Amino acid sequence: MMAENNPSIGQRCEQLLVRSARGISTICGVIAALMILVSVVITCQMIWMRFVLNESTIWQTEAVTYLMISATLIGLPYVQLLRGHVNVDLVPMLLPPRWRKALALLVLALSIAVISIMAYYGYELFHIAWQRNWRSESVWGVSLWIPYLALPLGLGLFVLQMVADLIASWRCDAEVLAHGEYEEDY
Amino acid sequence: MDPLVLGALVAVVTVIVLFSGVSVAVGLLIVSAGFLLVFEGAASFELLPEIFFGKLDNFALLSIPMFIIMGAAISSTRAGADLYEALERWMTRVPGGLVVSNLGACALFSAMSGSSPATCAAIGKMGIPEMRKRGYPDGVAAGSIAAGGTLGILIPPSVTMIVYGIATETSIGRLFLAGVVPGLLLVALFMAWSIFSTWRQGGAHTALGAGHYSWTEKVEVLPRVVPFLLIIIGVLYALYGGIATPSETAAVGALMCVLAAVLIYRLFRFDALWAVLRDSTRESVMILFIIGAAGVFAFMLSSLFVTQAIAEWIAELEVNRWVLMGAINVFLLVAGFFLPPVAVILMAAPILFPIIVSAGFDPYWFAVVLTINMEIGLITPPVGLNLYVINGIAPDIPLKTILRGSMPFVVCMVLAIVILSVFPALATWLPDYLMGPVR
Repeated sequence: MMAENNPSIGQRCEQLLVRSARGISTICGVIAALMILVSVVITCQMIWMRFVLNESTIWQTEAVTYLMISATLIGLPYVQLLRGHVNVDLVPMLLPPRWRKALALLVLALSIAVISIMAYYGYELFHIAWQRNWRSESVWGVSLWIPYLALPLGLGLFVLQMVADLIASWRCDAEVLAHGEYEEDY
Repeated sequence: MDPLVLGALVAVVTVIVLFSGVSVAVGLLIVSAGFLLVFEGAASFELLPEIFFGKLDNFALLSIPMFIIMGAAISSTRAGADLYEALERWMTRVPGGLVVSNLGACALFSAMSGSSPATCAAIGKMGIPEMRKRGYPDGVAAGSIAAGGTLGILIPPSVTMIVYGIATETSIGRLFLAGVVPGLLLVALFMAWSIFSTWRQGGAHTALGAGHYSWTEKVEVLPRVVPFLLIIIGVLYALYGGIATPSETAAVGALMCVLAAVLIYRLFRFDALWAVLRDSTRESVMILFIIGAAGVFAFMLSSLFVTQAIAEWIAELEVNRWVLMGAINVFLLVAGFFLPPVAVILMAAPILFPIIVSAGFDPYWFAVVLTINMEIGLITPPVGLNLYVINGIAPDIPLKTILRGSMPFVVCMVLAIVILSVFPALATWLPDYLMGPVR
């Protein structure tokens, strides 16, 4: 990243933000992976209950569905860190490097804006579900604020990772944006 | 504004935004939010998280991460190389044995892994050098693997088909079965072209198999390959037999594939298992995010009455249904050139599906045609992923040769679409036979 000997306080803050975002996103990835793993196990347990023990299942279908949604949302920052979100960089490839960087920054800024809006209203949804104690309509009747919590949390951390990317690519050249600088480490 | 004009505007803006390098899912959200803001006001933002969540709130979607884990477990092992060797040893006396076994290995491995690039890498790493060593032209060697890799999204189990099934509320088991015969048709066309092209370029002797293997050598590789095939067949049987839902069978399949990978290939190391889980998580999150975002996009289209207007407009055109199908094919082909299959299906399904059904086309047949269109996109520029994978594993074959070698296979795929249009039963017969006619 920055090669100067005496980085200013501002630069240190930036570095700290970029690094902590990276750490948080990695943790998110581990959590998302574990959620998917747990849903495999629960689904297999459900099949065992139903087909072998001939018992009815109450909570499993809903639990794994919510686990999958939560894994998706919580996994967003990690996939952003790995540059795993599929994209089509047709226009950037046609542009000269300077314009490419400007476009990349614009695209990131727009993404941050839209995901922030989603995160904000996701929080509202979570908050209402919490206040009014909404429950799912199944027999299990789980409190809906639990799965809804993944909306503000996952989308919020996704914004954090994108802000870190914005800072990193503002400083570095635009290539970082397209190919990711962390890809090799993982 | 007239909904049709608005629809055209949405299309133009979507194309511009998606080509700007933004990730597909976020791009769809940006376009949706932008149009909702202008035409419905900021108040409609309130609904977005709920729609996103609601779109993902579907137990059937769980089959996506499950099938991805299954594929990732298989791809992480040497199963691809073993499968290649097994077919090589068994097919050696068949005319064009090597390219035939390569395509066969591609078809089987892509079915097992469900991933196009993974198939190209796994089979191509061994297959391409071997084919070139034995005098096959570079274009045929590279093109056959690039094309063979695309079979993964057609031959079951296929994530693309699952996404289609969920987007159009059609039976996933039936869709899987519909892909089988057309998949074999494609393999046959690919094989025929490869042998013909090799023979035409003066490689008549290479077109015939050369090596000879003893029975011990032939049997020795089987225990490493057969378990995975059995798991896949078992999963498909449980699925179309109606024993369990796709998500349930896929979860069992995922667990069994991981266990088989651990036992057969001694994948005991924690980091190897973590790599499987990590890659699956990355892939699943990416696809599920697009599904959620496409849900928001579909909501935007329908609340601005674009979906309804397009359907009405096409109904009023009263064009011949095959002209309509031709136009839809061109649209899908062009979209597939640029966008990943999952995104095309999710964006096009809400608009196209009612049109297809009201024009009297079979939705399962259409799924196959759509998927073959998407396969073409995987081996054509600018985003033909398979071309770049082949370029990565055989760097001394110029991209131009790979591209030129792949083009005849594109023609094979177009030919397959024509054959399927003349004989739709190729797609619908197997599901009807095994599951009974659609009610």
